Amino acid sequence: MKSADPRVKLLWAVVCTSGAVFFSKPWWMLGLTGFSLFGALLFGADLVGLTRRLKRFLPVLLMVAAVQVLFVRTGAPLVVVGGRVLLTADGVWRGLSAAMRMVIIFCSGAVMAREDSRRVINSLIQMKVPYVFCFSLFAALRFIPLFGEAFAQALTALQLRGVDLRRVPWRQKLRLYSALLVPVLAETLARAENLAAVMEARGFGALPQRTIYVRNTMNGRDWAAVAVLLLVGVFAVRFYYAS
Amino acid sequence: MTAIALFDVLYCYERSGFVLSCPRLELRLGELTLITGPNGSGKTTLSKLMCGILRPKQGRISIFGRRADELSLGEIGSKVGYLFQNPSRQLFAPTVWQEMLFVQEILGQDPQPARARAEQLLARFRLADLKERRVYTLSRGEQQRLAICTMLMGGAEFFILDEPTAGLDRSHRTELYKLMDELLLEGKGLAVISHSRELASRWKCRQVRLREGQVLA
Repeated sequence: MKSADPRVKLLWAVVCTSGAVFFSKPWWMLGLTGFSLFGALLFGADLVGLTRRLKRFLPVLLMVAAVQVLFVRTGAPLVVVGGRVLLTADGVWRGLSAAMRMVIIFCSGAVMAREDSRRVINSLIQMKVPYVFCFSLFAALRFIPLFGEAFAQALTALQLRGVDLRRVPWRQKLRLYSALLVPVLAETLARAENLAAVMEARGFGALPQRTIYVRNTMNGRDWAAVAVLLLVGVFAVRFYYAS
Repeated sequence: MTAIALFDVLYCYERSGFVLSCPRLELRLGELTLITGPNGSGKTTLSKLMCGILRPKQGRISIFGRRADELSLGEIGSKVGYLFQNPSRQLFAPTVWQEMLFVQEILGQDPQPARARAEQLLARFRLADLKERRVYTLSRGEQQRLAICTMLMGGAEFFILDEPTAGLDRSHRTELYKLMDELLLEGKGLAVISHSRELASRWKCRQVRLREGQVLA
């Protein structure tokens, strides 16, 4: 299924992420996480490579889950110290749910990141999404790695101004990190302005209609996958709210 | 005095497989060293190694007599300034004046001497009239001068300039050369990455040539 049409992958991502938003029952969430992981592997996502790249965000994700675990007070007490409830069953469950939601979003992102962005845009156009919106999305996707590069360079430049980040107090550190956004934002605006000028120079929007040279075609396997995903989605919602 | 020294340094980019090797290179204060070579020969990689942005896989780099791998970027930055190809990436505050005092405020240094020094540097580098200007409305040449001023505020002794003449017209280039002359007269060291023959002919300085990742001397 690695070469499946991007529309199939988009539908799969929509089903998974919608489920992650609506489901809150433990076994359903667990099932959805399994379904997402299975789908990601089936669609050929590079989970290992992406995990390596996103490793630095792991503490933030763990913190989000830990906040849920520690601050939810409802449910049966699990850990009580000196008459004070530290952990409850609901808290642990909410923490696990938060972690599973992140895994589901991560899987969807991993599948879409593997897909050729040009094919995704073509699919959206074929789905009658306005071209201006598709192009903006395409341009935004291309900008993402540049943000990372600009941010890393600004951080290096800041340190090379004699700022030892380990020795800066937390309050000042917050100021520093917000200051890092200044060059990144300025560069983004400059790039956007250049891009707009180039687009106009090449006649973007000169005509109301646009044709596409390469069209994505859905084969029988893709249609079958769409049918299965729609059925799974509809039945999941039906049984979830009935149970 | 030797500011930066590289001994049997080897660096490789894992993705592209590009390898840079530098058997021995010394950069001294009061000297201008021109780093030249074709595109993709490793000039920027070499300069990033020289100021600790990249860490070598093999060999040793010393910065003002201390091993670079024992220094944080912040510690290196207080001695070595790096001017990026795009100087707007190293400006963080809204106005020229705030930019000059930005790091000193973060580090909680006494504001009085910092302000006096900032005034003096802005006047010296012909930026005093632009004190209240937004940094992003400055020309590239002015941004370069401001970036160098901020490095001097931090006490940098050695400056690495990455393609500083790129995108500058003749008058801005002349301004830059004057500034480089002043820094050299003050005893600062300079390493300039450039394709410009103008630079080489103007200073008759030492040249370090690179070819396919090899530092030829």
